[in-house]
Amino acid sequence: MQDYTYPSIFLAYLLFAVFAGGALYFLIRSIKDGYWGKDSEEVKYRMLADEENKYGE
Amino acid sequence: MDEKKAVHSGTAVSSTAVPVHTDTTAKWFLLSAVVYFFIVGIVAIILAAKFIWPEMLGTVATLTYGRLRPLHVNGMLFGWLLAADMGLVYYLVPRLCGVKLWSEKLGVATAILWNFIILSAVVVLLGGWNQGLEYAELPLWLDVLVVVAWIMFGWNIFATVAKRKYVQMYVSVWYIMGTILWTAFVYLVGNFAVLFATGVNQANLNWMYVHNAVGLIFTPVGLALAYYFIPKSGNIPLYSHKLSMIGFWSLAFIYVWTGAHHMLHGPISQWLQTIAIFFSVMLLVPVWTVVYNFFATMKGQWELLQTRVELKFLMSGVVFYLLTCFQGPMHSLRSVNALVSKTDWIPGHAHMAVLGAFSFFAIAGTLYTVPRIFKTRLHSASMANWSFWFMMIGGLGFFVTLWLGGLWQGWQWNNPAIPFIDTVVALGPVWTVRFFSGVLIFLGIVLFLYDIVATAIGASGSEPIEDAA
Amino acid sequence: MLGNAEKNAILFVIAAVLLFLTGGLLTTLVPPLIDTSWGRPFENDDPAKGPTGKLRPYTEQELAGREIYNREGCWYCHTQQTRTLLADTKRSGWRGVDSPISTPDEFVYDAPHMFGTKRTGPDLSRVGGKYDSQWHLTHFRNPRDLVPGSIMPPFPWIADNPEEFEALVAYLQTLGRAKDWRPDQDYED
Ligand code: HEC
Ligand code: HEM
Repeated sequence: MQDYTYPSIFLAYLLFAVFAGGALYFLIRSIKDGYWGKDSEEVKYRMLADEENKYGE
Repeated sequence: MDEKKAVHSGTAVSSTAVPVHTDTTAKWFLLSAVVYFFIVGIVAIILAAKFIWPEMLGTVATLTYGRLRPLHVNGMLFGWLLAADMGLVYYLVPRLCGVKLWSEKLGVATAILWNFIILSAVVVLLGGWNQGLEYAELPLWLDVLVVVAWIMFGWNIFATVAKRKYVQMYVSVWYIMGTILWTAFVYLVGNFAVLFATGVNQANLNWMYVHNAVGLIFTPVGLALAYYFIPKSGNIPLYSHKLSMIGFWSLAFIYVWTGAHHMLHGPISQWLQTIAIFFSVMLLVPVWTVVYNFFATMKGQWELLQTRVELKFLMSGVVFYLLTCFQGPMHSLRSVNALVSKTDWIPGHAHMAVLGAFSFFAIAGTLYTVPRIFKTRLHSASMANWSFWFMMIGGLGFFVTLWLGGLWQGWQWNNPAIPFIDTVVALGPVWTVRFFSGVLIFLGIVLFLYDIVATAIGASGSEPIEDAA
Repeated sequence: MLGNAEKNAILFVIAAVLLFLTGGLLTTLVPPLIDTSWGRPFENDDPAKGPTGKLRPYTEQELAGREIYNREGCWYCHTQQTRTLLADTKRSGWRGVDSPISTPDEFVYDAPHMFGTKRTGPDLSRVGGKYDSQWHLTHFRNPRDLVPGSIMPPFPWIADNPEEFEALVAYLQTLGRAKDWRPDQDYED
């Protein structure tokens, strides 16, 4: 059996770098596209408005 | 009372009005799940008792430890927890989408099929017809039925999402869709692909499934419930929807890599173990974003916990989730793993996840939902409160003693001068405490069952809140 | 495109599946391709690393025994892996000889695998040859007769069924035999 311990640690660091890069890319892109605007939080207020709140009290 | 008008006019007037939900599917799933919770709870007690009185029911082949244990695990996971989760999903997806469920008929058929699967599983497991793979004990024909049921479930939910009125999807919907998709893959790997492999290769697939059954089935659907019921039962908006998205996408990517951490130090390639460890530690990212979001939601509103028993379950579930997912990365580290792996620490950890976190979420959801779908009020809030305290105290007794016991056990095992049997005898008191904690939890389950059934039965009786629906 | 990301269910499905599959495929399909020892026995003279030609497929009887081991859920209480930990090699050892660690090639004939996750009872990966049939018979009838304080369940229906009992013991005696580290019939010493 070959010992892949060290290559795997390098792989893990490499993957980490790739995620960090990817995350940064999508962050910048989403800011440009206006993803972080105010109305994008609307959904969390809408889910509270509901027809059935009178039951179960 | 103006809401009442909306309900009345819903069907007749316009498509933008609130739809009338019949919720037959949710009722079926939730009631059967609660009953299985109780029945399998009895099995759990017997199992815990066998650690103290190993000869109890010892000459009855069908009730031997090795057959009751898979019944307990499968019964709790699939009969109670997943069924309750599914019932709650059938409730909340139509509401979050602003439309009726795609098909109640299909839903009821799914519920019937699900019950058939669970009842068959009881017979099969007691008969010792065990496939020999953890969480995948059921024979092939039942696996096929589970897949069919899952497709019926997924179809119904996705079709509802497809015709949704509210275009922007709330985070719970994301998690639910994720659960449905990932489960399909994870389940196929764990129940079909494994059959074509042997040895370490098979173990790798098996643990990919075992780990992701918790991580990509119970975690996302449990979080979907928490994201819905925490704001709902407190009537407070979620702290940040954006933050919840980060939690979601990091979970989607990271979780699946970690399966091999079940075989640390074992006969599986070291490099794969290293990768599993790396990703296990990375899991802190999705967990902490999610938990921060919940705590920030509750900020300044903690007094609501005094009056809303659902919130008690939910927020203690969140704390247990945080603790479990701190333990997880920590005992993935080689040095810690060498101490706690294969000991009683592991059931302590597992129960904090499936009982302390995910069952608490499902219980809260059930307490919130059942009165609403039966259009009545909860039979008794104080009974639910007692049920909470029984489960909480029993749960803590269970988790904490098993952790301590597990550490002690691991420490003894690492000293080869101590004969193995001495380490068994030493754990006796720990198992005794676990048994009595289990009895407390079981009492909590009984109260919960009674409360829910009384709510449902009372509903068809004399005093509904709203008579016209 | 990302501005509307939360409104597009199809985009969502594709992204969720792709992200999942990255890890899903890399951790399941790829490892056995890299580490070929997972799949087939190989020749090796170093007993610490691999079998010395002693590994063989199970016989019919041993498979029947394995079936019973599976049916009675022995694997919920017993692991079958001597891990890369000093304590494990000592506990699996035999009369002062440390056991070699378990390696993937020992298990290529195992389906379902029996590695286990919980040690309520001791590890069984090297139990083959440790006890004779008489010991096992007494032990299955009531473990406490031999080991006071044991919490292993009694299995009278196996002890009383010669065919099942012999099959199960035949299987137990194969455990740990793929490696050349101690004599074959050592319980007879
Ligand atoms: C409830 C858990 C449990 C189950 C189930 C169980 N055992 Fe055990 N087993 C133990 C414990 C604890 C010991 C240690 C005390 C003893 O030797 O009885 C043990 C010891 C043993 C030993 C002796 C190991 C040694 O190195 O001394 C063998 C062999 C064994 N078990 C085989 C089996 C088989 C075969 C089955 C299934 C038919 C089984 N066990 C099911 C708990 C269990
Ligand atoms: C009434 C309270 C309960 C008691 C007394 C109890 C008892 C037990 C016992 C004795 C075991 C075997 C542990 C071992 O082999 O060492 C076990 C395992 C397990 N139980 Fe429970 N249980 C309870 C509730 C639950 C609930 C509510 C769930 C899930 C919703 C659950 C899920 C599991 C799982 C998944 C395992 C396997 C753990 C592993 O893989 O290590 N249990 N339980």
